Amino acid sequence: MAEPPRTSFLGLLRVLLHHGIDFLVVGGVAAQLAGAPILTLDLDVLYDKSPGNLDRLLAALREIKARYRDPAGRHIEPDREKLETLRMHLLLTELGALDLLGEIGAGLDFQALAGRTVSYQLGEARVRILELAAVIETKEHANRAKDRAVLPVLRQTLAMKAALDRDEEI
Amino acid sequence: MPEPPRPRSGPADPAARPDPPAESPDGVDLTLIRWTLSLTPLQRLELLQDWVDGLAELRHGRATED
Repeated sequence: MAEPPRTSFLGLLRVLLHHGIDFLVVGGVAAQLAGAPILTLDLDVLYDKSPGNLDRLLAALREIKARYRDPAGRHIEPDREKLETLRMHLLLTELGALDLLGEIGAGLDFQALAGRTVSYQLGEARVRILELAAVIETKEHANRAKDRAVLPVLRQTLAMKAALDRDEEI
Repeated sequence: MPEPPRPRSGPADPAARPDPPAESPDGVDLTLIRWTLSLTPLQRLELLQDWVDGLAELRHGRATED
């Protein structure tokens, strides 16, 4: 199998922002941006399912030639119906692996989590990121082996960030 | 991007405060967390990109050797 292109995190974020998409960065990249030293190979994004946002999202996905990471090697592209109905889209793009999520954790969607975000300036881009405490909650809920493996690092990072906020030495 | 902290060498100053722990009781490397928390969010993303790129280079190198 051909090796997929390595993920360009900033490149993917720039495309999503350029198309004016309402989204939150979640998962491993959100944790890393919050200061947790964990490795992830894809960008996880929670997107708003409003009709206008789906139009913009589809345009962005066409631009980066997104298709599903299909184990059988079939070429299946995301479409409006899939984006409206499916919970998870594991995509391969010209800029690497992009996981689009309609909901995470206990059925939480973009609107439910929009109030639990922080905004970071990443170069010229300002990006909304799911706060670390919420990332931990979603991973606790998912409870897969890969989630359990990183939870001690995420919890420790959250505790050390809280200590820094209190001006305590870490 | 700042380099990760290195262990200090030389005789310990008895008046100095004890070094913060390097590891949590459950085995988490606290030095790495201190380092990443000292970076800006953009630097953290660049660090992740470096790791991903480095991994790809290693995979490519191994594929070339094979």
